[in-house]
Amino acid sequence: MNFSAHRTTTGFLLPSIHSAPPFYTQQPNAATQAVFTEHWTRLLLAYARHRGLFVLRVEDAEVSAGGEWDEVLRNPRINRRVKPELLSHILDAMVGKSLAAYEPAGQTRAALLHWRLPEEWAEVLHEWATKTGQLNTILTFYEISDPPDPSALSGIPGALLRPAIAILAKSGRAQLISISDGDGVRFFPRSAK
Amino acid sequence: MILQRYTRSALLYDDEKNYASQDNVGIYDGLQKSVNHPNGTISVTTHRLFYIDAAKPHSRSFCLDLSSVVRTEYYAGLFTSSPKATIYLSPEAPLAVATADEAGESWQCDVCDFRNPPGSSPTGAKCALCGVPRRKALSTSPTPPRAASAPPLSAPKEVACHTCTFLNHPALAQCEMCGTALPQAAPVASRGETPNTEGASDDGMMLRLSFRKGGDKALYATKATGQRTTPSTTERFGIDGLVRGVETSAQSAQLDMNEALKDLDALMVKAHEMVRLAGELNDRLTTVTELNRSSGAGAGEAEPETATFIRSSLVQLGLKMTDVSVTLDMARDEKEWYDQLARELAAVLQGTGGKTGRGMMGDRGIIPLDEVWGGWNRARGVALLTPSQFLQVLTHLPAHTDPIITERTFHASGLRVLHTATYTAPAFAARLQGRSLVSGSRTTLDIAQEEGVPMGLASEMVDEAEAQGVVCRDETEHGEVRWWLNVFHEYVWDGQQDAMAPAGEWDV
Repeated sequence: MNFSAHRTTTGFLLPSIHSAPPFYTQQPNAATQAVFTEHWTRLLLAYARHRGLFVLRVEDAEVSAGGEWDEVLRNPRINRRVKPELLSHILDAMVGKSLAAYEPAGQTRAALLHWRLPEEWAEVLHEWATKTGQLNTILTFYEISDPPDPSALSGIPGALLRPAIAILAKSGRAQLISISDGDGVRFFPRSAK
Repeated sequence: MILQRYTRSALLYDDEKNYASQDNVGIYDGLQKSVNHPNGTISVTTHRLFYIDAAKPHSRSFCLDLSSVVRTEYYAGLFTSSPKATIYLSPEAPLAVATADEAGESWQCDVCDFRNPPGSSPTGAKCALCGVPRRKALSTSPTPPRAASAPPLSAPKEVACHTCTFLNHPALAQCEMCGTALPQAAPVASRGETPNTEGASDDGMMLRLSFRKGGDKALYATKATGQRTTPSTTERFGIDGLVRGVETSAQSAQLDMNEALKDLDALMVKAHEMVRLAGELNDRLTTVTELNRSSGAGAGEAEPETATFIRSSLVQLGLKMTDVSVTLDMARDEKEWYDQLARELAAVLQGTGGKTGRGMMGDRGIIPLDEVWGGWNRARGVALLTPSQFLQVLTHLPAHTDPIITERTFHASGLRVLHTATYTAPAFAARLQGRSLVSGSRTTLDIAQEEGVPMGLASEMVDEAEAQGVVCRDETEHGEVRWWLNVFHEYVWDGQQDAMAPAGEWDV
């Protein structure tokens, strides 16, 4: 039984366990399942970081999905895929370890993945603001998440922005502003305060 | 003793007729002569039996209701002992005794309070004004000397409604005030338990009449008829009657069963003896033939024909001598008995070697428990073992079996099996690891075929291996389950390295 790693078309290296068929089945044995869940968690977060994906839904495991997660959740070479129940189980585990958060809250089908800590997001945010010369101007969330040039922040949902801004605000590098059609933020240079 | 109940006036009721009288009768209270009633006249009427003492008629006479007589017996008498009639009486509750002057006094009707003139019998009286029959027996007089008795028996016996606690007349079915149904106190409630108690307390409830001057037969006959005309205490209608009918039929069925089982016990004893005799006979035949063989100089004599015939008929009767079942009386104590049973079971399972080599387990290494129990009991034929005894025998089994057989319970389904060492969980897991799954995955069916066990058993064992983390499952698109060796607990990540890059170094 040799399984091998595999590089996807997007350049992501899938681990060899991804080629093992039992990996795609929910195990009744709790210890075995814990091992699998841990590897799945790591894999999903790594893939999310690689592709800049923020949201993982249980629907992504449905047969007809065809979304961005297909490279990970399916393995055509061994003809296996992650079933929705298993994905739900993995999501639960990730939320339990605070590596993800159900968003919107109260449901268990879609979650935001925290492959970066809010502190890191804060730094990324500030860096980007500085680099694109948008300090001291008021920016809307939309401008941040959908800038004309794609950045590491493209597609970032507001739920991730807010904690990052809050952290920046604590160190005086940003300020949350409420404007008419949404929320805005203003960045200040690092050296300020 | 019992005579104290029955001192009443000797006045006849209106509807009572005297059947016969006999003088020179003595009374035995229970089994002893009654001191106060040595000699008197016995009269049998339609309702009662009177004894009027010859010497002191006023103080030493008594009467008793014929309805309280349960049984009579007659004893014809020998030379010096006179003929006697024994009367068995029902053990009425003490409160059932009507007051001393029931017949001799005017009585008050409970319904209309009319004071009726005396002279009517306790059972047949009707109030002259309202026609309601007088309540039978049981009630104490309006001036209750037994005030200490329980409240429901105070006179007249009113029934307390359990809803509103109003005291209703016992004849009512509904409470007068609130209308709820009243519990019906049976009119002869305390008397209802009296039948069926014959035999047990005879000695205390017995009276004997000793006819010193004859005349016993005539009196006895009339008393018998007189007893029949009075209303019997045993009610044969209503729920009471049904219940009593069921009881009597159940009792008779029980008696029949006991008798039948006694016969069966006797048969079993005889069968035991027969087996023993057959064994002795067989032994003797064997010794005789051996002697013949050793003494016959190399002639190799065959057994005499009679011996062969006897032996074959023994076999035909099913009395095989080599497999005498072990029963409890053959062993000294329980522990040894279980040990011997275990030895017998080992022989049954694995064969005794030689002729019956294979035994029940044959070439299988594993066998379900119910099959073993059934087969062993069938082989024994007599003195079958209960499941609990069987389970106790199993604990002694490993000591007598070779290869060792142990019992095992599968947790998932509760299936219990006897098995040899090849089917323990670790052995099975080792086989899986070594043989079947190295080259890839297997389905349960493949594993069953490789191991040579039924599919269900294989699935049980694989489930157990999964529970121990030896294998893990893989479900294909079509729902088929395949089994892989679980090598993943030592897995080392070899995918995308995803260490968080330090701040400032990502491509923004």
